[in-house]
Amino acid sequence: MSARVYLLAMNDLLTAALDAATSSGADFADARAVELATESISVRAATVESLDRSESLGFGVRVLANGAWGYAASARLDAKEAIRVARTAVEVARASALVHSTPVHLVDEPAHVASWSTPVATDPFAVALEDKVGLLVMATQEMGKAAGIRVARATMDAYRQRSWFVSSEGAAIDQTIVNTGAGIEATAVADGDVQQRSYPASFRGHLEAGGYEIVERMDLPANGQRVAEEAVALLSAPECPSGTTTLVLDGHQVMLQVHESVGHPTELDRVLGMEAAFAGTSFVGIPDLGRLSYGSEVVNITSDATAPGGVGTYGYDDEGVEGQRVDLVRNGVLVGFQTSRETAALVGQDRSNGTMRAEGWENFPLIRMPNINLLPGEGSLEDLLADVDDGVYMATNKSWSIDDKRKNFQFGCEIAWEIKDGRLGRMLKNPRYTGITPVFWGSCDAVAGPGEWKMQGTPNCGKGQPGQTMRVGHGTSPARFRNVSIGVGQ
Amino acid sequence: MTEGISGDLPVSHDDARKAAGYVLDYSGADGVEVVLTGSRTGLTRYAGSQIIQNTVQNNVKAYVRVAAGDRTATATTSQLDQEHMQRAAASALEAASASPPDPDFPGLPAPEQVGRAQALFRWDEPTAEASPQQRAEGVKQILDVAKVDNAAGVYETSGHSFAVLSSTGIDCFDAYTRSVCTCLVDTGAATGWGEASSHRKAEVDLEAAARRSLDKAAAGEEPSDADPGTYQVILESPAVATLLEYLSYAGFGAKQVLEGESFLAERAGQNVASPQVTVTDDVFHPRSIGIGFDFEGVPKKRVPVIDSGRATGPVTDLRHATKMGIDLTGHGSGSNEFGPYASQVVMEAGDRSLDELISEVDDGILVTRFHYVNVLERPSTLLTGMTRDGTFRIKNGEVAGAVHNFRFAQSVLEALASVLGVGRELGTVAADYGPFGSTVAPALRIGQFHFASRTSH
Repeated sequence: MSARVYLLAMNDLLTAALDAATSSGADFADARAVELATESISVRAATVESLDRSESLGFGVRVLANGAWGYAASARLDAKEAIRVARTAVEVARASALVHSTPVHLVDEPAHVASWSTPVATDPFAVALEDKVGLLVMATQEMGKAAGIRVARATMDAYRQRSWFVSSEGAAIDQTIVNTGAGIEATAVADGDVQQRSYPASFRGHLEAGGYEIVERMDLPANGQRVAEEAVALLSAPECPSGTTTLVLDGHQVMLQVHESVGHPTELDRVLGMEAAFAGTSFVGIPDLGRLSYGSEVVNITSDATAPGGVGTYGYDDEGVEGQRVDLVRNGVLVGFQTSRETAALVGQDRSNGTMRAEGWENFPLIRMPNINLLPGEGSLEDLLADVDDGVYMATNKSWSIDDKRKNFQFGCEIAWEIKDGRLGRMLKNPRYTGITPVFWGSCDAVAGPGEWKMQGTPNCGKGQPGQTMRVGHGTSPARFRNVSIGVGQ
Repeated sequence: MTEGISGDLPVSHDDARKAAGYVLDYSGADGVEVVLTGSRTGLTRYAGSQIIQNTVQNNVKAYVRVAAGDRTATATTSQLDQEHMQRAAASALEAASASPPDPDFPGLPAPEQVGRAQALFRWDEPTAEASPQQRAEGVKQILDVAKVDNAAGVYETSGHSFAVLSSTGIDCFDAYTRSVCTCLVDTGAATGWGEASSHRKAEVDLEAAARRSLDKAAAGEEPSDADPGTYQVILESPAVATLLEYLSYAGFGAKQVLEGESFLAERAGQNVASPQVTVTDDVFHPRSIGIGFDFEGVPKKRVPVIDSGRATGPVTDLRHATKMGIDLTGHGSGSNEFGPYASQVVMEAGDRSLDELISEVDDGILVTRFHYVNVLERPSTLLTGMTRDGTFRIKNGEVAGAVHNFRFAQSVLEALASVLGVGRELGTVAADYGPFGSTVAPALRIGQFHFASRTSH
């Protein structure tokens, strides 16, 4: 089927669904078809551990009837099924309305008729598999040069999501998003101790919007032996001591810190209690807007769906709202939330800031972080370290846990080094730190400058029921925090 | 129609055979395996005591694994027609052919080698056929009991079918339903929690879950500060289930043993828990939710992983059983990267009621459930996480008021080694990471459990 015929077929399917929804009594309807292609490669010790390719194609219909939401979705792609699914969505909405006291109101959004695509230099799906596998094999061989490595693993992932969105308001959006990532990890084991080092990041490496050029920039083999030697060295490194000290975090750990303690608490659905029973709520309330001291003056954080390279970068969200950049924290003060067309009005916005996304075609869109970015400050990592007499530098996220209000957290990193008189000293293992969100960000006295700032991405942000996994971006640079409790956990 | 099941399945055995038939003899492949999953899920979410999201999903997936000599790759599609199935097979064959040799590939399992799986067919027609209206009425039942303007949770009714077919003669099919209810009551001053899961919706007592949540919230008001430290604790069933789920994730699988990350790598055969503790992976337990075979079509076995306190696992798939020379248990997860997985963990019940367990504590903490648990160190099974929705002080054998939530940092095995009593009631917690899996757990009285810090709210 040609691309044009395919596009027409999708539009016909979705139009049939919209017509069936409105003729069945829906006051509003949108329909979204998604074609998702993925390729995931894992190489362990020069052998392919798994090589999985997937394609998923289906559609979902979201409707408002009697003031309440209904959603239905199917993988069967024919007009008869489109009509059945749309009618089911209306039936579901009417059922919702039986236990729904506040009619849903949507703030206005222009009915966009548009197409948008991630800029891609080299299509990751078009690169020969032999080349991709060969690169990963080479990286594991480099890791294997370090004596004492139990597991040397290299991974690569590519995602391409094409979606078609139409609404009863007249929107028609065709969008293609491409994300590519890769990474290596070395695991050393001795006497019941397991230590791991990763590059460029843990949990399947670094992920960005774009094509295979992202993988080529990483130079995985060149970092293999260093990463593996660090994993082995950690086995005999001293434990990170407990105490209160100055903490410097690398950009990857700052990403996790931003994600868990700023990204999630500023999702307005969480603030409103819509996720209370599962992921939890937020320590932030609507009256805190413009008032709450979230951090120190050097803390500036945006929600930015327009940032180049971010895996949360898109033209339009999954309810047809244009991707935007908005401030969440400005000079340390909470000034914004991530919103949807349903929730925006509740914080006085006359327009959603465009953060509704759904995993695949089968799920109802939720407020999801696009790219939640800590804006760069000044200077280099070395400058941050230079102003520390006695402290710890932690790098690469390893573990995370935070309470249901996103206030009490404990995070762990793969590796740390002492900081003595402004310079890095001994390597330390099992570094962890804990804190209370606004106190911790209030203790931030320096964020490294644009030269250290990098767009990071996490592929596995979970939210919602049924559970949805989303790729989320965070632009960060290293940052320094004073009087932090470290080495906790025992 | 499949024997033992009436009504409309998400994917029938005939559907699966037809789709697999397009590719089982795919030209150029040395072996082909097709795993088909189908699900029809109705899930109603409520918050602020009204329905906020309400979905009906019809989903199907075919995982086509192709062997080219000793190399394999998998391609997945959501379309079961000939064109898409053959495109998936071609994609998998191309990927396998581009891979280096895999000397540990044991071949696709064959029935004469691994046996023929028996389906469990835990399929309940009223659950499969539940309508959006019935779920909405169920939510109304919950809210009528909860009697607050801020209750939140889900009510799910769903049906799932699984099939595995291969060129080596595997041809198995199973289906189950599940129903899940959760209820969080927020009085403004405190929150409480109740939940229930079963493969039959009639066994999910919505009102009891709501009442339990309301009672917890009412008792949780005006919490006091308790100092962090090591306490004797009563963990209710949902809290125990969470610890078991992470214990399984951290170390029940043979791959984790092979890679040295599991506690079983160093401690197999040793006493790792109290003699009162027996933990199995047991899909055949009447409270488990699942199917009778793994993602390679290998029959599932009941596997004691901790037997009367002694470490006896792990669970295996064909690759790891062959490589390690140990028993094949039928726990292939479908991911060679992840390895075999115990997804129906059951802890055996004891002889105490929850009230009896509490009455035996002079000074301790009662935990309703945990939140956002994560693994800090795999071999020692050290976890961290928070308590939520009902944390109470116990004094002189009685619940003596609520306390603020704690962060714990605790080795699960060390906690299980200090078990002093096991509850006789078992609760089922359905997996929240997908429809496949459950954990069945009693309440426990644990002698030593470490809370590292407390919250300020």
